[in-house]
Amino acid sequence: MDTSTVNIILKILHYLFFGFAFLAILSYIVLSVISAKESIEYLKKNSFVNYKDILSSSMAPTITIIAPAYNESLNIVENVRSLLSNHYTKYNVIIVNDGSKDDSLEKLIEAYDLEKVDFIINQKIKTKPLRKGVFKSKNPAFEKLLVVDKENGGKADALNIGLNISKSKYVACIDVDCLLLEDALQKMIKPFLEQTEKRVIAAGGVIRIANSCKIQGGRLLDINLPKNLIVQSQILEYLRAFLLGRMAWSRLNGLLVISGAFGIFDKEIAIKVGGYDTNTVGEDMELIVRMRRYMEEQNEPYLVSYIPDPLCWTEAPDNYKTLISQRNRWTRGTIETLRKHRKIAFNKNYGAFGLLSYPYWLFFERLSPIIETIGLVYFGILLALQEVRWEYALSFLVLAYTFSVLFSLVAIYSEEFTFHQYKKKGNGFKLILLAALEPLILHPIILYAALKGNYDYYFNKTKKWGTMTRKGLATA
Amino acid sequence: MMEPQNILTAYKNFPHLIQITWGTTAVLIIAIVILTINLKFWRAAKRKKEANQQKAQAKFESLILEYLYSQNDNPNYLSTKQLVIIDAFAHPIKVKWKRRIIVKILYNLLSEVSGEMSDIIKKFYFRTGLYKYALFKLKSKKWEVIGKGIEQLTRFKIIEAHQRVKPFLNHPRDEVRKEAHIYMVSLFGFEGLSFLNTIEEPMSEWAQIEILETLQEIESQEFCDIKLWLKSNNRSVVLFALKLAKIYNQFEVNETLMELLSHPDKDIRVQTIEVLTHLYGIEAKEMLKANFNDLSLEEQISFFKLLEKLVMPNDEPFVEKHLFHKNFEIQLLALKILKSINLDKFLHIKEDTEKSSNSDILEYVNNL
Repeated sequence: MDTSTVNIILKILHYLFFGFAFLAILSYIVLSVISAKESIEYLKKNSFVNYKDILSSSMAPTITIIAPAYNESLNIVENVRSLLSNHYTKYNVIIVNDGSKDDSLEKLIEAYDLEKVDFIINQKIKTKPLRKGVFKSKNPAFEKLLVVDKENGGKADALNIGLNISKSKYVACIDVDCLLLEDALQKMIKPFLEQTEKRVIAAGGVIRIANSCKIQGGRLLDINLPKNLIVQSQILEYLRAFLLGRMAWSRLNGLLVISGAFGIFDKEIAIKVGGYDTNTVGEDMELIVRMRRYMEEQNEPYLVSYIPDPLCWTEAPDNYKTLISQRNRWTRGTIETLRKHRKIAFNKNYGAFGLLSYPYWLFFERLSPIIETIGLVYFGILLALQEVRWEYALSFLVLAYTFSVLFSLVAIYSEEFTFHQYKKKGNGFKLILLAALEPLILHPIILYAALKGNYDYYFNKTKKWGTMTRKGLATA
Repeated sequence: MMEPQNILTAYKNFPHLIQITWGTTAVLIIAIVILTINLKFWRAAKRKKEANQQKAQAKFESLILEYLYSQNDNPNYLSTKQLVIIDAFAHPIKVKWKRRIIVKILYNLLSEVSGEMSDIIKKFYFRTGLYKYALFKLKSKKWEVIGKGIEQLTRFKIIEAHQRVKPFLNHPRDEVRKEAHIYMVSLFGFEGLSFLNTIEEPMSEWAQIEILETLQEIESQEFCDIKLWLKSNNRSVVLFALKLAKIYNQFEVNETLMELLSHPDKDIRVQTIEVLTHLYGIEAKEMLKANFNDLSLEEQISFFKLLEKLVMPNDEPFVEKHLFHKNFEIQLLALKILKSINLDKFLHIKEDTEKSSNSDILEYVNNL
């Protein structure tokens, strides 16, 4: 290749990197504006909502909470108590003990006075068989509780058996170790009941980080910013993702993911599409994409809704190892889902879903870490060849950094104007400081985890979920 | 260090792209600084405001409680003390945030008390002139302000406002419409449901539930004729009327319900079967049985639930025909029904099919 050809290739590369960065920044700005509009609309709508009637009405729909548990012996009794203390009256709880090797079941039997009952399951979705059977409490105080003990089949399989058992129109799929606030169900069911023109097939909620928060008897007493920088950075990351990103995608009816930690689904559609996919580690995203795809193919008007209220609190990884493992899994889940449903990509038959949501996820979620890495490698080569044009490099780097800080600040403002959870004096300053530090602390780790996820997806097929060592949420 | 003048010169010598980049960065940095400073002051101001609000709330709460417990024996007249307290609120209610706190306290009190006490609270709301502010909200161009105004008038049962609320019964925003509907029902009971005759927009399930709950809170009332609504062209009105028929056991509309079994909307047909099941609509049984194969799966399931409740020995051949229906729910219901009308036959079938794939379900029904 002669010098001019190399120069042309380099120029094309420069423009590609520049174009990608420009589009990413533009998309973030557009999403922020849309999310601001949506947040204002949501707050207006909810400024005079009466939740009292839905709690007492015999006409309110029944919701089944499905919570899979695997080796959760440490906190299972407390976690179930929290799930049983919701204000919504017409709900029941199915705990699926997914072949736990510890004494989870024994603890539940003892704490809730459970006995084995005759039970028949309609295998609408194929699942692993029962192990010890189905248990109900002899104590009427726990009549809402059903415990299913089955052979291990993974989270998706456990959720599927819950879908098979549930008799409700709506199912809330949650992680058993999440803290669900008492008013979570009544708020989450609202989008399903207030829509008249479109069918709401799923609704997701904001997931907040509960590390360092004070919790007692399944209730959140005090919200604190944790001292651990990794957890702090994730708080900011979650604020950005949930209050800016998902809020905007909800407005565009383009949400592709509802967090596996807490989401409510129209059971009929979830079953019609075959329930959770047991062959992916990103079963939460995959189910939403499949449900959307089904509705698009049926030509039925539908919505995937989203509630910005802080209703579900969870424990975030507090060390690099667990964080990398979690993000690695998320990356593999995204790749698997996007590959499986690649038919949707740029397909006008799927409307905005195919022309907007899917391409966005493909470029700015799936390919973003790869493009970023290629950029870094390219920069390294230029550095080695002493070909870096510093006046450009420096100006772009500073611009990217300041934009990322500003974007985080917008997320903090969004939080302050809407739910204002971190009220304590000094928290505001810490969050601002975090906005400046987070691109240096969390971003490199997430990039590394995403690359590792890509590597594992293509070269380490045996890797499945990975482990998340929980310390349990702090109790007062 | 570089002189500012030199920085400017260097900047001017940069290519355009770099100039734009640095220019944008400068704007972003200014924005970051402004937002940071603003956030600090805003949080401090918010904390101060919250403290002030708490102080004001405590003060207003104690005054309102004093007002409540200073009531004369004659509930038609206010005591001197109560009049003094009402005067004390003349100034605070002119301030928006204080008014908001006062209304919030009154809401909370209303949800905790009933009867005479609740009337005294409503009198307070009226005498202090708070209702005028709620009426003023109805003139707003913002839909959420109108909604809040109607909500307030509903909670304090300001019947005098009904002509002002009426135009909102067909408001383009669902939220405002719903508040206006609830106002009418809350103040006029079943008579207030007359908006169903003319409503063109769909009523959400959420709104229907709220209206039904409002109706149930109203004591001693005469039920109205729902036949017209069961025949409405508005799908949501029909579904709402079906709920009314079920909750208020409207046996007299059975004939209209029978007509609804052939309604073009599947959801309405399914709901109708459920209401007929609740109302022991035996006349529906033969009709549905005859058309069973033409029904949708949901209707078939609903019909079997009806049959479970209204089964007679002569239904046995029909039930037997569907014992091993491809749908699990129908299969289970059919087996349960057969067991209830002919135990011997059920046991006989159970023995015959002991080793088949249906043995689990048979065993389960047997153990029920």
